[in-house]
Amino acid sequence: MFKKILIANRGEIACRVIKTARKMGIATVAVYSEADKDALFVELADEGVCIGPAASKESYLAMDKIIAACKQTGAEAVHPGYGFLSENAEFSRRLEEEGIKFIGPKHYSVAKMGDKIESKKLAIEAGVNTIPGYNDAIAGPDEAVEIAKKIGYPVMIKASAGGGGKGLRVAFNDKEAHEGFASCVNEARNAFGDDRVFIEKYVLEPRHIEIQVLGDAHGNYVYLNERDCSIQRRHQKVIEEAPSPFVDPEMRRAMGEQAVALARAVNYESAGTVEFVVSGATKEFYFLEMNTRLQVEHPVTELITGLDLVEQMIRVAYGEKLPLSQTDVGINGWSMECRINAEDPFRGFLPSTGRLVKFQPPAEVDGQVRVDTGVYEGGEISMFYDSMIAKLIVHGKDRNEAIERMRDALNAFVIRGISSNIPFQAALLQHPRFCSGNFNTGFIAEEYPQGFDASMVPHDDPALLAAVATFARKRYIDRAVQIDGQLAGHGRKVATNWVVVMAGTQYPFSIRPIEGGLSLTHGDTTYDIVSDWTFGDLLFKGTVNGQPICLQIERRGLRYCISHFGLQVEPMVMTVHAAHLLSLMPEKLPPDLSKFLLSPMPGLLREVSVVEGQEVKAGEKLAVIEAMKMENVLKADCDVTVKKIVVAPGASLSVDEVIIEFV
Amino acid sequence: MQEIIRQLDEKRAKARLGGGQKRIDAQHAKGKLTARERIELFLDDGSFEEWDMFKEHRCNDFGMNADHVPGDGVVTGYGTVNGRLVFVFSQDFTVFGGSLSETHAEKICKVMDHAMKVGAPVIGLNDSGGARIQEGVDSLGGYADVFQRNVMASGVVPQISLIMGPCAGGAVYSPAMTDFIFMVKDSSYMFVTGPEVVKTVTHEEVTAEELGGAITHNTKSGVADLAFENDVEALMMTRRLVGFLPSSNREKPPTIPMVDPADRLDFSLDTLVPANPNQPYDMKELIVKMVDDGDFFELQPDYAKNIIIGFARMEGSPVGIVANQPLVLAGCLDIKSSIKAARFVRFCDAFNIPVVTLVDVPGFMPGTSQEYGGIIKHGAKLLYAYAECTVPKVTLITRKAYGGAYDVMSSKHLRGDVNFAWPSAEIAVMGPKGAVEIIFREEKNDPAKIAEREAEYKARFANPFVAGARGFIDDVIMPHETRKRVCRSLAMLKDKELENPWRKHGNIPL
Repeated sequence: MFKKILIANRGEIACRVIKTARKMGIATVAVYSEADKDALFVELADEGVCIGPAASKESYLAMDKIIAACKQTGAEAVHPGYGFLSENAEFSRRLEEEGIKFIGPKHYSVAKMGDKIESKKLAIEAGVNTIPGYNDAIAGPDEAVEIAKKIGYPVMIKASAGGGGKGLRVAFNDKEAHEGFASCVNEARNAFGDDRVFIEKYVLEPRHIEIQVLGDAHGNYVYLNERDCSIQRRHQKVIEEAPSPFVDPEMRRAMGEQAVALARAVNYESAGTVEFVVSGATKEFYFLEMNTRLQVEHPVTELITGLDLVEQMIRVAYGEKLPLSQTDVGINGWSMECRINAEDPFRGFLPSTGRLVKFQPPAEVDGQVRVDTGVYEGGEISMFYDSMIAKLIVHGKDRNEAIERMRDALNAFVIRGISSNIPFQAALLQHPRFCSGNFNTGFIAEEYPQGFDASMVPHDDPALLAAVATFARKRYIDRAVQIDGQLAGHGRKVATNWVVVMAGTQYPFSIRPIEGGLSLTHGDTTYDIVSDWTFGDLLFKGTVNGQPICLQIERRGLRYCISHFGLQVEPMVMTVHAAHLLSLMPEKLPPDLSKFLLSPMPGLLREVSVVEGQEVKAGEKLAVIEAMKMENVLKADCDVTVKKIVVAPGASLSVDEVIIEFV
Repeated sequence: MQEIIRQLDEKRAKARLGGGQKRIDAQHAKGKLTARERIELFLDDGSFEEWDMFKEHRCNDFGMNADHVPGDGVVTGYGTVNGRLVFVFSQDFTVFGGSLSETHAEKICKVMDHAMKVGAPVIGLNDSGGARIQEGVDSLGGYADVFQRNVMASGVVPQISLIMGPCAGGAVYSPAMTDFIFMVKDSSYMFVTGPEVVKTVTHEEVTAEELGGAITHNTKSGVADLAFENDVEALMMTRRLVGFLPSSNREKPPTIPMVDPADRLDFSLDTLVPANPNQPYDMKELIVKMVDDGDFFELQPDYAKNIIIGFARMEGSPVGIVANQPLVLAGCLDIKSSIKAARFVRFCDAFNIPVVTLVDVPGFMPGTSQEYGGIIKHGAKLLYAYAECTVPKVTLITRKAYGGAYDVMSSKHLRGDVNFAWPSAEIAVMGPKGAVEIIFREEKNDPAKIAEREAEYKARFANPFVAGARGFIDDVIMPHETRKRVCRSLAMLKDKELENPWRKHGNIPL
């Protein structure tokens, strides 16, 4: 076996690879950019080599530097992770020339599958179902429209070198085809340096289902079942699961065999993924593309097959034979993965950067909960790379148990300092349509057409949260009445009736102590809460009527900020009399913010596109903010007149900072 | 006897109604609670002992002899907050607009005198239209009687003012002399002269809210310490503040059972200070991660944000926290922040509350506005406050401690008891760039040489060791063990005794 390997990647996947290498007794080398010098994967690796500045082009994409690092450290092989150079045939070829093993497929397989047009041709030859479409490079927008008409709308225009949602357009008519082609070409040229695009039939009610394959250098191939990645937001996967609630054994075999046929056609040696688009209506499936690398969502396959895919990749790269044949591959239970991203779901999923003031993932339990992450409490989420900071993976005996486990794990995931998509993930996990398994890639766009806001998080028992707040308050009071210097014999008499004021509703409770906690009665319902929660704990763990509960709680002034199943509430707990007096207080309306353009995220003000006194129509560009490498255009919500430009371009902005004042 | 008891019940019922149901309803309509409702909320249930319920004014002018309301517009007495004694007065806007008469003032003075005698805080709930004009000079005399007591009580018993309605003219000076002022948003205001007078004299058009509302005094003037959404929140949070304060200067501040382990380590603090010395970070994270339960009662959070002040507990005992905030103006000292912190340090010193100072200060703010504004004297206030302070003083330098500001921020030289530094500390006369430009002035035009000199200076001074070698720093500690080390230092200092030489009083540069 290899003595030492280098991981040409960063973040959680670098940590993931290091973990397996360590298990196999292989030493590891991390390469890192200057922005990552304090990152977890650098800490975990046996050796580290700094390969340049933050920009990926000058570090994680710089082949020369990575090859030099291999030579410098004596690494015999390179695991590329996903992204960066993982599907770069040239990188793979150059490593081969240097006598360094690439832990991944051979460069010719990568090259063939890396080109969308080439790969489709190969798929047809291998007897794989493909989508009707036009497989040659297209000259210009007019030709694009002609082709689109021939295939029949809707059609999809896609960059040959594309991936990850970049360089992709859907057109429902000639005009959109014309425009879509132009912008697609532009984006492809900028993002990939390759402006070829192709057009194909757009499948309605599409599900994204992919088959994990594994091949070795000895001509052995297996498929390791499917993953359903249909829960996507703007073509970015959000939740993945294995198996798919949509796939039956026969379909699985058909898809699996086609996937293996394709892998065989390119002599695929390593772990790879064949992506299919599956019609939710007809169950027909069509080949989309083959990803010649380890996928982000590979853990769900690992949890239902018991295989370590990274280990298999390393063994195959070393020349070993696959340890199993197709009949050995089974499905054990159900697995699900949530991508935890540094983004704010309540602000249009804008990226969130900064310091991880708190980062406490749920405890890992073998065979139940797994956390793949590359960050740590006190670390920095920089604007230079991907916003995914962790993958939360669960396993259960069936889909329902997996869903339950995921809900619990999300409840216990503490992140402070930056925003995360956990509330959104929690809401998805509660969504009846998600739970039914009846969804397609349009799910998020259809169910949350106006975006996501706090009102979209269902909770079947808000009174429970009020009860927990009362429990917490009571703990504080029990301590407060033990303060020094009291008038002896004239201590405070603590009430047994309390009222929780939460989101405009009052929840009266009567309380009595029980062993280890409190019994709280609200109307006909009694909550016997037992918990060893104490002051300052962000996690409230215990039991309610014997059932385990885990939620997050934080005292802020008089309020207890509680989050549970994605719902965030800020109850106040008061005596009956105080609650009555509070009800006499006027409801204060939030200030009118429509007169201001506020920065929706921390970032750099790149440009102010208007001048003072200018009249602006709704939808017109006001300013551009750069955050996480992305340019975010801020547009006018309605017709406005600019009164004052408060900050100048070049300024760094914090969230909610006023940029422009309107008349 | 029966008759007397019946009369008593009647009188009580009448007194409780203050200015009558109509005025009570009007008070509620304005989003305000009545004087009695406020007291009920503030004190432990059923603990209020009312005095002078039947006291009436003695004015006979302008038809006042026909208009008597028992209690005369202020409810006074004592009660408990979590079993601890406090004295309260609560002005009743429903009675003569809460205006202050001679007898109204006498009631306030009575509770203040008692508070001084037994050593307990005075909490004033202010909601008054001002002087009882009909009484003329009697009313003015009443104000002055209260002022005199405010001054006599200052530093002897804690005094807290809640502004829950109007507080204008001379009336503002009683709260002004108390230790803390809390205001209620939208329903309270304080000013010496009102909007009408302002318009006549200076031709400025300004609303009462803009001139002296809660937001104004919490962000612009620094007169107030906190602003709350409504009466209920203001009163409940005031209870929490009282929990940090000793009943008088004769006592230590009150402790509560501690559950947060003193030796709790927090490794995330090791990365709090960024590698780049010009990059800011949030000092509040250190405070929250250092103190018991992450519970920090911040005062003046929206005024002079370049310095943070407030109360917290360490091992169950209250401490006052003073911290430079690198997020705002790089944490430098200026006029406002110096005054803000100086007053807080003096409060802590007066009431035996140890002061924990967290330092990241690049120096004093330069500029004409600062110099013309008298930064010399205002900065000296903070210096004076720390130098005269005899309570336990624990100081931690997290990053920059430059120049005179280093001396000011509870340095060893100002009798700092325990002075720590993190490894990231830089203690020097100034930052490398400025220093090199002065020391090596003749090499100014040679950028290569200057860079070299800067590196040299950095290597020499951008660390805690030079100060450590002189004993100005007692130890260099790892960020993750901050809580443990500070807790231990405070425990060691618990019985600290230090007295300043006798004098009538010092002459702080006011």
